[in-house]
Amino acid sequence: MTDQEKIAKFRERLGLKILEATSPSPRRVFLTVAPADVKAAAEVVKTDLGSEHLSTISGLDLGETFEIIYHFGDSAGNVNVRTRIPKADPRLPSLCPVVPGAILYERELQDMFGIAVEGLPDPRPLLTPDDWPAGNFPLRKDWTFERPQEKIPGGKT
Amino acid sequence: MKFQIPIGPQHPALKEPISLRMTVEGEVIRDADIRLGYNHRGLEKLAEQKSYIQNIYLTERICGICSHSHAVAFTQGAERLLEIEPPKRGLYLRHLVAELERIHSHLLWLGVAGHEAGFDTFFMYTWRDREVVMDLLEMISGNRVHYAINTLGGVRRDLDEALRKKILEGLDVLKQRSEYYFKIGASEPTFVARLAGVGKLPRERALALCAVGPTLRASGIPNDVRKDDPFAFYGEAPFEVATADTCDVLGRTVVRIKELFESYKICGFILKNLPSGPVAVKAPRKAKPGEVVSRYEAPRGENIHYIKSNGTDKPERLKVRAPTLANYPATVEMLRDGFIADIPLIFAAIDPCICCAERTVELRDARTGEERSVRFSELRRTAEERFRRLPAQRNVPWPF
Repeated sequence: MTDQEKIAKFRERLGLKILEATSPSPRRVFLTVAPADVKAAAEVVKTDLGSEHLSTISGLDLGETFEIIYHFGDSAGNVNVRTRIPKADPRLPSLCPVVPGAILYERELQDMFGIAVEGLPDPRPLLTPDDWPAGNFPLRKDWTFERPQEKIPGGKT
Repeated sequence: MKFQIPIGPQHPALKEPISLRMTVEGEVIRDADIRLGYNHRGLEKLAEQKSYIQNIYLTERICGICSHSHAVAFTQGAERLLEIEPPKRGLYLRHLVAELERIHSHLLWLGVAGHEAGFDTFFMYTWRDREVVMDLLEMISGNRVHYAINTLGGVRRDLDEALRKKILEGLDVLKQRSEYYFKIGASEPTFVARLAGVGKLPRERALALCAVGPTLRASGIPNDVRKDDPFAFYGEAPFEVATADTCDVLGRTVVRIKELFESYKICGFILKNLPSGPVAVKAPRKAKPGEVVSRYEAPRGENIHYIKSNGTDKPERLKVRAPTLANYPATVEMLRDGFIADIPLIFAAIDPCICCAERTVELRDARTGEERSVRFSELRRTAEERFRRLPAQRNVPWPF
């Protein structure tokens, strides 16, 4: 299936839900949808493109908004579904009911960007340590790290 | 009665230390829980502060075994952002190193699989033969592991005629040895019986859990980025996607042996059709704003890099997904309803090399609350002991 055929398929299935569809280079399709429609787009990838492989989920900090890109792989390239959520209220519905393999990537989003993924079967932290201070999200652009002074047990204070 | 066994988190030889907490009932694993992040290096954040050329060396250090695969994924993405096209010879040499790396990685894995299955002769053989390909890589790049051969716009070193002949000779030796390994499957029924039926991952589950690489292909799904998304010259290179449909560790072994032969084929193709000309072009320092998704088939599976540029000489964002991460949900599935004694083998089969490391497992007995520490070598011995007592699975066919 060529990139244009894929875009046509998405437009046919989702209609106005597709806010933007481009193919900037061969075998790469970028779609923009609303956060609530990501699941519907994943269903189309599954049923019409015949692949349910989610490669990964990328998060980007654009200042006022977060951009989330879901990278789906299929037998003829890859489809990237993009969505934007406000940084002031970062909530995102989970993709796990459609693609169970999304769980680790969504937990990573929670840890790194502080995005609350709703409906996640297992919302515990994945990457940050147990004693990680709350409200610290390393991949946000405004996050800076101050290394706390090292305390050596029994050493000089 | 159910009780929990924590495995991990520290394994010195691992790139990604991992903690697995097994809920077991007797000898049977009922559930496994994964906790990551013990060696999180903040590499994606670091990449935002480094220039494109520095990032090649940074990404090369993501993995200690398939170092070249991350560097290739990053370089081919960055090249598209910088709008340069590497010369054909440079591209061929880059992927010659990539295929040699796949050969060394798969030989290493076969050795680990042999070791975990209690077949140490196989381990000695494969690791001895792996030295052949390691020497070739050293002759090409000057290094055994971190080849540092990629640069923006091509590769850093060229190949002369004498070296080309040496590589072809080395490949001939390896091909003969691999044919011997292939015959082992038919002549060594105990090895096959040990691997068959262990770590089952049904086709639908492999798909749903987004497994990648040999783990996925051993469940009968012919997904290979080199075929599905043919970057560089893979569209014209002669090779088949290796699959197996046994969905177990035996299948994963067969897939890797088959892939060795495909890699020899690709290396032969590269060396026979090596174009002449320069190996690299000059690259600009700054990239225009844009984004690129770069995929590459690493020895362990699909490797994906997402790079966004912002007009400066540093990327705005670099997202990396290594294949082992994608295989963790599938590993939990494989471990479920398996035996404690099969843990080393199942782990080894996704090739995170967790089992290369000697490490401690704590067994907590729920009835007495007593904890005991077991060396990993001891766990392996238990595994071999259990297998020795089992009635051999007879007539397991070698699915080649």
